[in-house]
Amino acid sequence: MTLFADDAATEPPSTAPSVPLARPAPSRTLAQSRAFGSSLTFLAFLAIFAGYSVWLGDRFLDPGARLLNLHQNVPVLLIALAAMITLVAGKFDLSVSSTASLTAYLAIGLRTEQGLPFWAVLVACLAVGVAVGLVNGFLVEYLSINAFIATLGSGGVILGISSVYSGGGPLIPSGPRAVPGWFDALGSFASRPPAAVVWAIAAVACAALVRLLGAVVPSRWDRTRSLAARTVAVAAAAALVVVGLDVPSWSGGVSWLTFLLLVVATAMWVLLELTAFGRGLKASGANPEAARLAGIHTRRHVLGAFVLGGVLAALAGVILAATQGSVAPDLAGAFLLPAFAAAFLSTVVFSAGAFTVWGTVIGGVFVVWVGQGLIVGGLPNTWTDIVNGAVLLIAVSLSTVVRIARR
Amino acid sequence: MAGSAGLAPTLRIAGLGRSFGRVEVLRDIDLEIGPGEFVGLMGPNGAGKSTLIKVLDGVYPPSAGTIRLGAQQVPSLGASPLVGFIHQDLGLIDGLTVADNLRLGQSPLRLVGPVLNRPAERAAAARALAAVGLDLPVTGPVGDLSPGEKALVAIARAFARGARILFVDEATSTLPPPDAKRVVAALRAMANAGSTVVMVTHKLSEILGATGRVVLLLDGRIAADRSTTGLGRAELVRMLASHEKGAAGPAGDPRPGPADPAAGGPGRTLLRLDGAHGGRAGPVDLVVRAGEVVGLTGTPGSGLHDVGYLAHGSLRPSRGTRTLAAGVRTALVPPHRETQGGFPDLDVGVNLTVSALRRFRGAFGLLARRRERAEGQRLVTRLKVRPADVGTEFRLLSGGNKQKVIFGRALLREAGVHVLCEPTRGVDVAARAEIYALVRRLPDEHTGVLVVTSDAEDLLAVCDRLATVSDGTVSDFRPVDDLDETALEAVL
Repeated sequence: MTLFADDAATEPPSTAPSVPLARPAPSRTLAQSRAFGSSLTFLAFLAIFAGYSVWLGDRFLDPGARLLNLHQNVPVLLIALAAMITLVAGKFDLSVSSTASLTAYLAIGLRTEQGLPFWAVLVACLAVGVAVGLVNGFLVEYLSINAFIATLGSGGVILGISSVYSGGGPLIPSGPRAVPGWFDALGSFASRPPAAVVWAIAAVACAALVRLLGAVVPSRWDRTRSLAARTVAVAAAAALVVVGLDVPSWSGGVSWLTFLLLVVATAMWVLLELTAFGRGLKASGANPEAARLAGIHTRRHVLGAFVLGGVLAALAGVILAATQGSVAPDLAGAFLLPAFAAAFLSTVVFSAGAFTVWGTVIGGVFVVWVGQGLIVGGLPNTWTDIVNGAVLLIAVSLSTVVRIARR
Repeated sequence: MAGSAGLAPTLRIAGLGRSFGRVEVLRDIDLEIGPGEFVGLMGPNGAGKSTLIKVLDGVYPPSAGTIRLGAQQVPSLGASPLVGFIHQDLGLIDGLTVADNLRLGQSPLRLVGPVLNRPAERAAAARALAAVGLDLPVTGPVGDLSPGEKALVAIARAFARGARILFVDEATSTLPPPDAKRVVAALRAMANAGSTVVMVTHKLSEILGATGRVVLLLDGRIAADRSTTGLGRAELVRMLASHEKGAAGPAGDPRPGPADPAAGGPGRTLLRLDGAHGGRAGPVDLVVRAGEVVGLTGTPGSGLHDVGYLAHGSLRPSRGTRTLAAGVRTALVPPHRETQGGFPDLDVGVNLTVSALRRFRGAFGLLARRRERAEGQRLVTRLKVRPADVGTEFRLLSGGNKQKVIFGRALLREAGVHVLCEPTRGVDVAARAEIYALVRRLPDEHTGVLVVTSDAEDLLAVCDRLATVSDGTVSDFRPVDDLDETALEAVL
């Protein structure tokens, strides 16, 4: 529920005098509420999509195509989550894309070249992720090397290992020792869970939304009234979406890979919001010295974040191999910037400065859709990077300006 | 030194006041300070000394009153080139050379175009240093200097910029005594040459030995303003001590615990340091027992806080031992609230519970957030934190309220040993009384408290026995009730 509850700002402590005011808790109206303020970016995205719908009509509002965009970007979003988890701890991990490139090679190579059973391949990839995380965490926390430099260096080494392993060329599975069929199928947009799974997820999302809205309803309302109002509002919105976007026609179109992303993101959300580890991680990122003196083992927490980031990056690489079916050198290299863009977008989507799991996923998807809309509208494919960069800059500057203006 | 000639203009402050919300921190401040005066500004923490300096510097606009510099009325003194402010952190950049630090805030001397005339800058720097009696290579980094030399460089810089009136805010409080002496002597020389110096200090010897006039601030008002000629040490102590009894919360409120013979004296030993070394402290021998409040005081440079960290366990002893009774946790209120205390961007609720998350384990080991929030909200209400909302971001709170939240964090931890470093630093009078009341309720048959503070008022208000720290070692402990005025003076 913490898309709202955990909004915190990253700007440096204001130099304005902190005065011992005796002020009452502010009574908030909808427009003044922090929840509303921190969803402005989200609403701006929705406005852009509404504009696209008017401009491009069904060419943009094509659920199948948009879900395909999502499916294709699952590896990027997993790398974004890997980057995000270390950002929460106040560190950079620039090695995530290299780790993904390496495990993409290993996922196919260890099977087709070395002939390992596929479960061993997966374990090996996972172990690579853990090892990378441990090395990064050791460099940063125990040798006190700046995380930027440390992970830039370790990322270079990891990428080099993948070059050495592959001999610098692409790897295309062939012959009797091919990857299992389910692995190929996982990467395919055509393999999908039954529509019921999608509906169940939607129901859970609606329930979450009902709780989220608790931050918006006036606090003077009693519990029953508040709950009733929120339920009605969400139900109405859901009905509007279901009918307006004709959800039943494409509800079976969500791929297994997208489903996997949702599971991973949910697990990460639980970890960050509902466990002492996640809380310790946030505290370590917010003020390491204070966290240490408050009795948090900051080193272990940051190390844990790097390991988790490494594992997620390794998973992203494996999935990348599944979607591509083959591996080329530095396959995930181009994903580093979009991944960080998504992670940073999370600080302004549903948040007032904190990195969040759902902000990363939603922000990442929205950027892709903004770019796709322009491409559908006739913009050449080569413009994608410009669009991504511009969207990130505009979203972050806009929300920063709004936040300063409201202070 | 550029423009070293010339007397300082007379500074006239009339009816100056400053309120924060409903709290009146300063009122009716009338001061007239002429050229050549060396004024010592005294008063306990929270009396309004820092606020006064900040109002004069222009950080806060005054709520009432006027400030005149010579014949001219000014909104604040900060903008005037004739006035310099030296704050406790000195504002020097350790990585730059002495000459570069002295040049900060002045237009650079140029050779041609953008190229700097470095020889001329160095010569100017050397002249500025000579004026305060320093002889240092100006090309060395400031980071290599001793604390006293740094303070002198900061003073030299202020005068080199053309300041004739200098406000020095506790620049000597962190210095070892010989360094402090040098700094005070340099300031005295400046005053003799016709400049005006106003120095905030807690040290009686500096007031009596160097300044010509003492201004005592109590509760935001000038309680005394007199020449130091003929002022005796005893009298000065009486002026301060009379206040301290009053501000120590509900006056005469008997301390619970061992001070009361019926309570049967301190209980079992909770924490013991034997010959422990760590940081600047050591060897330290210290015992904290259940039911007592132990006080330690000393200047900030004495290794005082390192003793606190050793006791808390966040600093491992490099030599010697630390023994904690079985099953006893420790909690710390760190000395530097802004940098070590809070998580500015996280909300008050998270700040409160971060040390006690084990108490909020619910189903599947996940955090029971509803219970956590409710507990946090209860504590916020009990500690009278304003605004009384766990959802407020910590950085938006005032200093006193931040301190209460950090206190609350220690309380939630349910520790056996509370190590409270500078519990009332920068806290207003009302919050200070509340904090004292909290500390005095802490000790019981399972709980002991160690108060580590450079503010002697804290010790008198809450401690059962106390000792001083100097050069990292702890003196013998003595019961607070045995302290007479001479002993008090020694502690101060």
